[in-house]
Amino acid sequence: AADSSGAPGAPCRHHAQLGACESRAKYREGWRPRAVKVYTINLESRYLLIQGVPALGVMKELVEQFALYGAIEEYHALDEYPAEQFTEVYLIKFKKLQCARVAKKKMDERSFFGSLLHVCYAPEFETVQETREKLQDRRKYIAKATNQRDCFVLKKVEGPKKTPSKNSEQDCPWNSLGSHVATNWDPSCFTSSPGVSHNIAYPSGNQNESLLTSPHYDNNCADISGYFGQNTSLTPSVHPGGHTPPTSLMQQRMVPACNGIDRFMPRTTHLQERKRKREEGNKFSLIGTSEDNTEVVIGPQLPEIPKVDMDDESLNTSATLIRNKLKEVADSVSTSVEKPESSSAKPLVKQRRRI
Amino acid sequence: MELGRLEYLQALVTEFQVTDSTEAKEQVLANLANFAYDPSNYEYLRQLQVLDLFLDMLTEDNESLVEFAMGGLCNLCLDKTNKEYILEANGVEPIINCLSSSNEETVVSAVTTLMFLTTPRSRAQTTALPVVECMLRFSLSANRRLSNLASIFLQDYCTPPQVEEARNLSRHTAVGIPLPKD
Repeated sequence: AADSSGAPGAPCRHHAQLGACESRAKYREGWRPRAVKVYTINLESRYLLIQGVPALGVMKELVEQFALYGAIEEYHALDEYPAEQFTEVYLIKFKKLQCARVAKKKMDERSFFGSLLHVCYAPEFETVQETREKLQDRRKYIAKATNQRDCFVLKKVEGPKKTPSKNSEQDCPWNSLGSHVATNWDPSCFTSSPGVSHNIAYPSGNQNESLLTSPHYDNNCADISGYFGQNTSLTPSVHPGGHTPPTSLMQQRMVPACNGIDRFMPRTTHLQERKRKREEGNKFSLIGTSEDNTEVVIGPQLPEIPKVDMDDESLNTSATLIRNKLKEVADSVSTSVEKPESSSAKPLVKQRRRI
Repeated sequence: MELGRLEYLQALVTEFQVTDSTEAKEQVLANLANFAYDPSNYEYLRQLQVLDLFLDMLTEDNESLVEFAMGGLCNLCLDKTNKEYILEANGVEPIINCLSSSNEETVVSAVTTLMFLTTPRSRAQTTALPVVECMLRFSLSANRRLSNLASIFLQDYCTPPQVEEARNLSRHTAVGIPLPKD
């Protein structure tokens, strides 16, 4: 590259479009030709640099196209950036890294008004704080994905920054997990990693297991609602192949969101929820089948009668939370038996036990 | 290809060990490094001793191999088991040496990896005086990625006395880790 200073607005080595690798061994040849490149958290960014945009005054259309992949915080043309004749260069900043990742994957090498776009990350535009948060999110994601950290601790860390919009950013790790599912089913995505032009296609069936992480015991409704809100948009792209993870995502949507003070329900695992629903299924006619993801269990449902009424709402909440936790611990023994049942497509039909 | 995940990764590692082609080695290593981004692969990668492979590659002459290996380590070192393994295997030293590479990606991966590997036990090593001094210089670099990471290193992983000590040292001597070529 002519100038690889790494300063924002200057061409950087990591912007350069590498040639596709021609010499791969057959067994590791992907569906699409890819360059030899390693993606680390340092390279990925919420900022995307888009080159090759035809100079036809199409900024609005460009941004609209990219906005399909997620909320955009900022965008502008980079007039100083060297561009090929008759093309322009733009910078688009996504609200979430995961959206930038998907947008890059989908829009790179895409034809746009007759010109081929080249999309790459532009981490050099990040502020120190943005870089810091990026690294922290990566930390949290790994901790979550490898079950190496208590969920409570995760939330506590973010405590002082709690605002509704921040909460959805906290759920970034979940988003990443969620879109693992989405991208796994997408025939044009072959990466073993959450993202981008990685080297090889791998039909990653095994990856789904990483989605079933520990339940989040969380007293903040907004977090979960935000999470579910995001998942709602993801689940339609999941093909119901009878595998557990898509079902579990849909199932989690069934956990009643906080939409009424008197309807507060402590968080339970999705397995526990299904069990409870199965047990109480006959009592409440408004509960649809657990697999029916069009029917959300919210609405004029009879409130659950607390087992121990301590005459105080917060005490009852705590008691229920503790009770559920105890139940969860007790249930964890029977989880392996539960699983085959939960993956069956018709829960109302007699369950088959896995031998 | 209908290979299972483990078999696929095994095939990559085998090809790496068996091939004479530098090009193939680079491709495979990059491939493994990308797989290292995804936690669902960690168990397999450990089983196949890919962590050792990455660490071994850090001292290679081939700049690309070093770059890809360093990227691989950066990708997987946040996992607790991987972190402990790398620390036990004395991985910090070769990673610190990568700070003097002329390859931008290598340096940037090394800075981040050192941050990720910092624990109460390891910080004496990861935030040793020459390292802090190096980070001080990096924090002044025109390369934004590098200066951001170095700043975070100094602010979040070093104590003010540590930074002060390094600042005093750099005023008096030129000894230390050289900056990468720009």
